[in-house]
Amino acid sequence: MNELATLYRYRQLLAALTARDLKARYRGSILGFFWSLANPLLLLGVYTLVFTRFFPQQVVKPYPLFLFAGILPWTFFSAAVLESTNSIAGNAGLIKKVMFPAEALPLVVVLSHLVHFALALPILLVAMGIYAAMGQATISPTIALTPFLMLLQTMFVAGVAMTVASASVLFRDLRDLVTNLMQLGFFITPIIYLIDRIDSRLLRALLRLNPMTPFVVSYQDVLFFGRLPAMSDALLMVAYALVSMIGGIFIFGRLRDTLAEAI
Amino acid sequence: MKSALLKRDLKLTPEASVSALKDVSFVADRGEAFGIVGRNGSGKSTLLKIISGILKPTSGIVRVNGRIAALIELGAGFHPEITGRENIYINGIMLGLSRREIDSRFDAIVEFSGIGDFIDQPVKTYSSGMYVRLGFAVAVHVDPEILLIDEVLAVGDEEFSQKCIAKIQELKYRGVTLVFVTHQLDQVRMLCDRAMWLDHGEVTSIGDPARVVDDYLQDVSGAMPAPPSPPAAERDPNEEERWGSGEVVLKRVVLTDPKGHELVALGAGTAVVVEMDVDVRVPQDDFVFGIGIYHADGSCVYGTNTDLEGLLPGRLDGPGRVRFMMPSLDLVAGTYRIDAAVHTRNGRAFDYRRGALRFVVGSRVHDIGVYRPKHEWRFDGKIAFREIDNLKRNVPAPMAEYLRENEPKPKKKS
Repeated sequence: MNELATLYRYRQLLAALTARDLKARYRGSILGFFWSLANPLLLLGVYTLVFTRFFPQQVVKPYPLFLFAGILPWTFFSAAVLESTNSIAGNAGLIKKVMFPAEALPLVVVLSHLVHFALALPILLVAMGIYAAMGQATISPTIALTPFLMLLQTMFVAGVAMTVASASVLFRDLRDLVTNLMQLGFFITPIIYLIDRIDSRLLRALLRLNPMTPFVVSYQDVLFFGRLPAMSDALLMVAYALVSMIGGIFIFGRLRDTLAEAI
Repeated sequence: MKSALLKRDLKLTPEASVSALKDVSFVADRGEAFGIVGRNGSGKSTLLKIISGILKPTSGIVRVNGRIAALIELGAGFHPEITGRENIYINGIMLGLSRREIDSRFDAIVEFSGIGDFIDQPVKTYSSGMYVRLGFAVAVHVDPEILLIDEVLAVGDEEFSQKCIAKIQELKYRGVTLVFVTHQLDQVRMLCDRAMWLDHGEVTSIGDPARVVDDYLQDVSGAMPAPPSPPAAERDPNEEERWGSGEVVLKRVVLTDPKGHELVALGAGTAVVVEMDVDVRVPQDDFVFGIGIYHADGSCVYGTNTDLEGLLPGRLDGPGRVRFMMPSLDLVAGTYRIDAAVHTRNGRAFDYRRGALRFVVGSRVHDIGVYRPKHEWRFDGKIAFREIDNLKRNVPAPMAEYLRENEPKPKKKS
């Protein structure tokens, strides 16, 4: 709890660093923030093409909306975790030369990706509006639950980010490991397919073990299907969020004192 | 409230690690300027990082009492892509200020840095000098209670360097505790109340800055180290402190009137002479004679030496007498001491006599300060005073005789 108090004290620092991160990233680039959307939009295009033209029998309709609802939270998770592996080593100057709360670094990464995520949501809403106008989709009041999902997911992502950020200073291999796991993770998370349409019970059970599964499925529920998330998913999300936060704070706390020397 | 930094018994485990510091223990009191000197790799920066909390000591404790700011590297937190203005905010927040506090100091920071209109340009367009100037400007406006400075005053041009030193003196005056590491030994002598010389992570000498710096210089130049000084606490502040290599000795230092009569008490504005009898054991061609006048509270009233005044040393072959003539010593009433020294031009002492002599300035006017410029009051118009007596003419204190008898006898220690 001490750590949380510290973070509260550093809230201005977190806000300032996040703003700096976003400003520095887009200064001098013409398309600015849209670059953060380029990758999900590209994925969206490719998978829409593949699943509506090559394997049209598989899909829920309208497929692009379904895909978008899953890709955005996944991108938030994977980009934030990947980038946080380098957040401490990449800011060695701060850790070694300034009295600086090291936990701020992975959290700033998480917060700035949360901002990207939040800025992408209106695009999804516009797309939903277009499909709704064509009578192919409906906008359900369950989208009001999105902020709660984002809160839980942010807690989950923050815990993972703190863990990999501190651990990757001591174990350099972790960065490459995480990069590869993210590639795998994209496919073992029900983003491009529906988990219910898988025949094998075993495979379904295995996919449920992936902590990102309840998050992505819940986003699809509230944004695409217009229904409440399953109770089991809700409980899992809360559990993952808490375990991840506590674990992240604990691991970071254990490693913090060695960071300045290990970089 | 007293702020103290206390550390002791810093030992790292032997095998895989190198112990950067061993048995380093010192206290820096509130408002004190504490200098750390030593060769590269002697553990100075590590010590600062441990005090600031950037590094954790493997063993031993650090106690810090007060808001601390560390200048380990100026502008370390700057982001090159964003403007100076934005970096001031982020750097200030990192150093513990709130956004509102920075708002109120923003103009002062920009003014001090001398960055001018560049403040709204990305920091990557700055010269390295501008970079450090901005970094220093932010750091000193944080208003820390304890400021740790690592070798940062060496940066920037001469003008900015002067500005930094003036700012540090101001902070010191306001009661900020300063701990600083530097290779510029004259800064240690000038700014510090105490100093410590670290060698291979161990304290070689600690105490009076002039003495510590001199010990260090003696060691660097390969001469015999001076005998260890007694711990500061045991020393009588009125007792003369003396050190140096002894190749040239100031045998006798006295204060006289222009006719050569010894003085210990005088009135303001008296003509006085500091007389030094010099004895030479090893002839020298690099030598400087220096004089410092200090108030009893330790503040320097005036200091100069032959080198500063452009006198190039020729040859010092044998005994002689140096006389420092002051046609009028315009000091306010109080007790003063004079330091006399002969040293090389880079500061290595042959003979340094701190508190070589003491004298009292008496006065019937209870004016304040240390310096009394020659002056008089004049009034025009309808401003009238009643007849005043001749107070404005100073008279030697009647206690001269008493003081002369009670003056502590300087002890030889070299």
